[in-house]
Amino acid sequence: MKSKVWHLVISIMVFSLLITACGSAATTEAPASTEAPAQPAVTEAPAQPAPTEAPVEQPPIRIGASLPLTGRMSEPGSAAKQGYEIWAAVVNESGGILGRQVELTIVDNASDQDTAVADYEKLITVDKVDLVVGPFSSFLVIPTSEVAARYGYAFVEPAGGAPDVFNRGLTNLFFAQPAPGDQQAIPFSDFVLALPEDQRPKTFAVVSQDDPFTLGVMDGVKAALTGGGMELVFDEIYAPETTDFSSIAIQVADLDPDLIVGGTQLQDSVGQIRAYQEAGYQPRIAFFTTGPSLPGPFREGLGTATEGVFASISWFPEAEEHQNADMVAKYVEMFGGNAGDIPEDVANAFTVGQVLQQAIEKIGAVDNAALIEELHKGTYQTVVGPLSFDEVGKPQGSFMLLQWQGDTFVIVGPGERKRAEPIVPKPEW
Amino acid sequence: MHLPSLNVLIQVTVIGLLTGGVYALMATGLTLIFGVMRVINVAHGAFLIFSAYLSYWMFTSYGLDPFLSIIISIPVLFTMGVVFQRYVLSRVKGDPGLGVLLTFAMALTLEGFMGSLWESTGRSIRTAYTSKVFPIELTSELTLRLPWVRVGGLVAATIALAGIYFFLKSSNLGRAIRATIQNRSAAQLMGVDVESVQALTFGIGLGTVAAGGALFSLIWTFNSGSHEEWISKMLSIIVLGGMASLPGTFIAALIMGVTESVAAVIMTSYLSPIVFYLILFLTLIFRPQGLFGVRIREG
Repeated sequence: MKSKVWHLVISIMVFSLLITACGSAATTEAPASTEAPAQPAVTEAPAQPAPTEAPVEQPPIRIGASLPLTGRMSEPGSAAKQGYEIWAAVVNESGGILGRQVELTIVDNASDQDTAVADYEKLITVDKVDLVVGPFSSFLVIPTSEVAARYGYAFVEPAGGAPDVFNRGLTNLFFAQPAPGDQQAIPFSDFVLALPEDQRPKTFAVVSQDDPFTLGVMDGVKAALTGGGMELVFDEIYAPETTDFSSIAIQVADLDPDLIVGGTQLQDSVGQIRAYQEAGYQPRIAFFTTGPSLPGPFREGLGTATEGVFASISWFPEAEEHQNADMVAKYVEMFGGNAGDIPEDVANAFTVGQVLQQAIEKIGAVDNAALIEELHKGTYQTVVGPLSFDEVGKPQGSFMLLQWQGDTFVIVGPGERKRAEPIVPKPEW
Repeated sequence: MHLPSLNVLIQVTVIGLLTGGVYALMATGLTLIFGVMRVINVAHGAFLIFSAYLSYWMFTSYGLDPFLSIIISIPVLFTMGVVFQRYVLSRVKGDPGLGVLLTFAMALTLEGFMGSLWESTGRSIRTAYTSKVFPIELTSELTLRLPWVRVGGLVAATIALAGIYFFLKSSNLGRAIRATIQNRSAAQLMGVDVESVQALTFGIGLGTVAAGGALFSLIWTFNSGSHEEWISKMLSIIVLGGMASLPGTFIAALIMGVTESVAAVIMTSYLSPIVFYLILFLTLIFRPQGLFGVRIREG
C-alpha cells in the first residue's frame, strides 16, 4: 500500500516535470527540424569553438522498449531484441534518421505484465526516451500500450494481433505485421475465386488439425469458397497428435473433390499428402496452412510430391521486400548462423523500426502526436511488404501466396508481389 | 455418424489390418518384458522413437534403407536393453512400482537426448517406394491400393513374431523365458538363471522394438515427444491381449488397427480411439485377464 502511494506521488512529480520538459523539448526540437534537410553537420564541427559537447552534432533519437528477454516468452522476446538491434545498426550506418543516430534502451520484463508496465512508465518518465516500441505478444502489448497512450506516445508493436489489442479504443497503437494470422488464406481464396470459370474448382474438402490457429484460418477459407459458389463436400477435424491419415485420405479419394485445404502444422502436412498419394487422390489445387512454408523439412518429407502445392507466408529470408536483404545480411554479420535460422520475430521487430523511420522522415520531426497522425495515413515499405494501418492500428497488409515449383517455393501473388506464374491444375503427386 | 460406401469400408479395413501388423511388432517387446519382469516398460515408446531416429539417421547420413539398417539397429537396441536391465532396472527388483518409475525416467532421458540431437521438427523417411502402392483390382468399381511400406511392415512383423514364437517354443532360452513368465520362483528353483533371462528378455524386447521403429520411420512422422502417444497405444494393445501373451498381443494389435481405421470413417478420426478403448473397457469388465490372458492367483 505504502509503495503504491509513493508510486503515485513520484508519478505525479515526474509527470509534471515531463510536461515542462516536453515544452522545452518542443522548442529545442523546432530549429532542429528546420535544419533537417541540410547534410549532417559533422564537417562543421571543427569550426565551432569549445566542441567538447559538440553542440552542432544532433543528439541521438532515443528509443525505449521492454522485452521478455527471460521467462516463458524469452525466445521470441530475444529474437525481437535482435530485430530492433539490427534495425538500429542498419539505420545508423546509413546516417541515422533526420541526421540523428538511433540509440536503443532495451530492458527485460521477465515476461511479466506488471514489470513491463513499470518499465514503460520508467522509460517514458525517468529515462525520457523520445519514442517507445512494443514488446512481444498481445499479453504484454495490451497493458503496456495503455501506458504509452497515457503519455501520448506512438506505440508501434511487432507481435500482438489478438482482438483485445484493437478493441480498447486506443489510437496510438500500430501492429506491424501484414495481417492477423487467421487471415492468412485470404490471398489463396481470392486467387481461386478469380480463376476463369473452366479452371475454377467446383468442390472442395477441408481437413484440419484441432488448433485455434488452423481452425481460424479454415473458417475464413470455408466462408470465402462457399460464398464464391464452391461446394464443401468433406470437413474433418483431427486431434493434434494424429500421425496416420490413411482413413481420412481414403474417404477424400472416394469423394474426389477438386480442391483440398489442409489446416496443418508441419508433420501433418507431410502425413496428409503421403496418405493422399497412397489413396490415389489427385486434387487439381491443394493448399496447406503451415508446412509448405518450411522448405527444408517439407521437401525432405515429400520429394517431388511438393510440386504445385500452395501456402501462405508473411516473411521469408529470400523475400524481395524493402531492405530484406540488408536485414538478413546484418543478422548473419551480428549474430552468425545463416539466413535460414532467422526467426520471423526478428523480421517483425525490424518492421517496427522501418515503419517508425519512414513516418518520422515524412513528418520531418520526432514528435509523437504528429507521428500518430501520420501512421494512420501513410503506407510504409517493410520487409513484410507494404503496410498501412486503420483507425485502431490494424494492419492493412496481406500475406504472400506461395506455390512450390521445382526445388523450392516461389511467390505467385497477390498483385505485384508475384514473381512467377501459378500452375493450375497442379501436377499429380 | 455416417455410413461410407462399401468400397471405402473395405479399403480402410485392409489398411487397418496392415497397420495392426506393425502395431503388433511394436508391442511384442512390451509384452515379453512385462511377462518376465512384471514391470511395465514405460520407456518402450521412447525406445521405439529412438530406433526410428536411428533408422532416420542411417538413412539420411549413409543412404541405408531402413529394411537393411535393422541389421545394425537391432544389436544396438538389444545391447541397450541388456545393459539397462542388468545395471539399472535389476537394482530395484524388489519393487515393481519403482521399476516403472525408473523406466519412466529413462523415457524422459531419452526424450531429452533425442530432442537435443534432432530438434523438435517432425521427421520421417522418404525412400523411392514411399507412397507407392500395389493396386489390386477386385471389381471394376473397387481397386484395393496396398501401400508398399505397410505390406512390407506386415510381412516383416509376421516373420519377426513367428521367429520369436518358435524361439520361445523350441529353444532352451525360450523355454527358460516362458518358465520365468509362468512362475519366476519355480523357474529359479529349477535352475533357471533368472537374472540372465531377464536381461536377455529385455534385450530381445528392445530388439523387436528396433525392427518396429524402422517400420515406424517409414510410415509415420515422429519427433522426440511422440513416444507419449505411442506408449499409451501399445499399453492398450497388450492389456487387451492379456498382458503376457504373444498371440494375444498380435490379435489385439490387429483389432486396434482395424477399429481405429474403420471408426475413423464411420464416426470421425477424432472419436475413433474411443471405440478401441470401449472394446478395452468391455473386455476388462467381462474378461479381466484380457483376450488370451491366464487368470493367475496372486499368492
